[in-house]
Amino acid sequence: MREALLAAAIVAIATAASVLLRDTLAPTNLAMIYLGGVVAVAMLCSSRVSVAASFLSVAAFDFFCVPPHLTFAVTDYQYVFTLAGMLAVALVISTQTGRLRDHAAQAAVREARTEALYRLSSRLAGETRVFEAARSAASLAEEVFGARVAVFLPEDGRISFRRRTSDLLPVPPSEESIAQWVFDHGHKAGLRTGSHPGATALYVPLRGAHETFGVLAVLPDVVANVESRIFAPEQQQLLEVFASQTALAIERTLSQRAAEETRVHMQTEQMRSSLLSAVSHDLRTPLASITGAASTLRSQGGRLPLETQRELLESITDEAERLGRLVGNLLDMTRFESGPVELRRDLYPLEEIVGTALQRMEPQLTGRLVSTELAENLPLVFVDDVLIGQVLWNLLENAVKYTPPGSPLGLAAFEEHGAVMIEVRDRGPGVPPGEEERIFQKFYRAKSDNARGAGLGLPICRAIVEAHRGTIRALPREGGGATFRISLPVESA
Amino acid sequence: MKPLILLIEDDAQIRRFLRAALAAEDYRLQEAVTAEEGLAQAAARQPDLILLDLGLPDRDGLEVIQKVREWGKIPILVLSARGQEKDKIAALDLGADDYVAKPFAVGELLARIRATLRRSTATAAGTVIRFGAVDVDLDKRVVRVEGQEVHLTPNEYKLLQVLIQHTGKVLTQRQLLNEVWGPQHTEQAQYLRVYIAQLRRKLERNPARPKHLQTEPGVGYRLVTEDPA
Repeated sequence: MREALLAAAIVAIATAASVLLRDTLAPTNLAMIYLGGVVAVAMLCSSRVSVAASFLSVAAFDFFCVPPHLTFAVTDYQYVFTLAGMLAVALVISTQTGRLRDHAAQAAVREARTEALYRLSSRLAGETRVFEAARSAASLAEEVFGARVAVFLPEDGRISFRRRTSDLLPVPPSEESIAQWVFDHGHKAGLRTGSHPGATALYVPLRGAHETFGVLAVLPDVVANVESRIFAPEQQQLLEVFASQTALAIERTLSQRAAEETRVHMQTEQMRSSLLSAVSHDLRTPLASITGAASTLRSQGGRLPLETQRELLESITDEAERLGRLVGNLLDMTRFESGPVELRRDLYPLEEIVGTALQRMEPQLTGRLVSTELAENLPLVFVDDVLIGQVLWNLLENAVKYTPPGSPLGLAAFEEHGAVMIEVRDRGPGVPPGEEERIFQKFYRAKSDNARGAGLGLPICRAIVEAHRGTIRALPREGGGATFRISLPVESA
Repeated sequence: MKPLILLIEDDAQIRRFLRAALAAEDYRLQEAVTAEEGLAQAAARQPDLILLDLGLPDRDGLEVIQKVREWGKIPILVLSARGQEKDKIAALDLGADDYVAKPFAVGELLARIRATLRRSTATAAGTVIRFGAVDVDLDKRVVRVEGQEVHLTPNEYKLLQVLIQHTGKVLTQRQLLNEVWGPQHTEQAQYLRVYIAQLRRKLERNPARPKHLQTEPGVGYRLVTEDPA
């Protein structure tokens, strides 16, 4: 209506100009003024209106500018050609300009649509959870369609208005059944559709390749022109593409999660089986020796030479100790894995912790030269003394286990870059190159490991040191051998 | 007469080997399986030493220590599980004399029993105590290392004196702080550690590998005057 008035006004202006100029210009030239008006109308209004304006212009030209004035009659027959030509040109201008404008408008719509879908896919690409993906899509849809939008997700196959991305959508609970129908059938329903056209909202299914993941509910804003925009065919189409893109993103999220779960599950399984095989082997071997030695002593003890009896007894105690250590390590590992380690930290002179570890190792250190180089004026370390002592003890025990009997060991501590470094050094074969990190993995045994370790000592050390926000590494030692370096940040209580 | 030991332990296998080991040393043995029974036996028989397992079926072993301490000074040696420092400290603070962590070798247990019995029967110790290269003259308050007099601050000397009074026995940080600095300082374990470190530097040949001033990790300290058997 507004367009029609505008067109009429433009024709009126053209007429006024023509009437003023009709004494100076030939009528054929006045036609140009009208054509100018038609161009203006065609650019500003729809093609229907500009076609109408073309006829109106020709009529006005005839009435006001073609003599005799103020009648539609034409005295000079050449003006019939002028009128026909003018009408033809005006109509061509109207339709072509309109088409051009439609093209531009369509291009703009396509561009907006492409942009909306691009934003949707880039926003959804980062989402790893279904609910988050649905929420992103809903909030983007609100921007793009200028409407209020929420996504309803199913719980056990039932669409529930409780599981939704936004609480701001005022849809009555009675429409849950419409949403359910949409979910079950994969067709849209609700406001201005074939089914339930009187509903508050329009319900669009989020349909993926194989199943429907939820329902997108669109509630047009009350402002009339926005509402009408949503229901324009190209917007409806965009809405459907939007919904299916969202469904695909959800589908991708779900399959990613399934893949991740499978991966974790497989890893856990693998861990469990390697744990079981390592543990059962390590528990059975000493048990077998104990059982064997003890039963030998019981049934044949009297007939065995005293020396043999003594050896059997020794192997029983040795193996029992080994079993005890293994069980202790397993218990520790379980403790460290069941959650963050609870540290009972306090400030200690490092000397004391080192001294305790050496004291505990004393029986195994006989025949070895053990040098201790603790730097003067080391700061007190803020640690759990029992656990750090256990780390040192483990490292020393490894050093004894993996180096030739009688080879020297070293324990050193110094301060460097705001951290206290503690090193356990040996002159053994060293850690095989490339295995420096792997030896800290659970149940990993170096290929050259003949000492029958359970592969738990170093992982426990690392767990303890990392709980103190420190690091532990294996380094090759200059002149041969291995250095295990612990770095503990200097902290105050 | 040989000392009488009361063993309060619910596990039959452990009772069995302890019975054999203690009999071989000629100790007289009384066995109890529950805390109730143990308390009754302790009151009736007045043993020379109680070997107490902390994990008893009827009552917490710590309660047994508390009850026994209410009426007597019978030495108590606790058998505790590995890693339960909290229990050990609680037992010691309640008045237990020492502990042995399970699993233990019998030799270690017998040494602890001997040391505990010796402390309980010892009359006033001699005035000069000797361990390693260290001589401590308690009368003159003079400490010598390899014959050379070493200067100790008053607190260092007091700490050493407390450790000497309880030679061989583990003392918790709380007990040491209480005896040296007084009851209001029992939470300041850092003091203690610094003083122990200083004592070690003055008395031990290699302070990083102390032979005499030993740490019981997570529990406390012990002065060892003899070389380990």
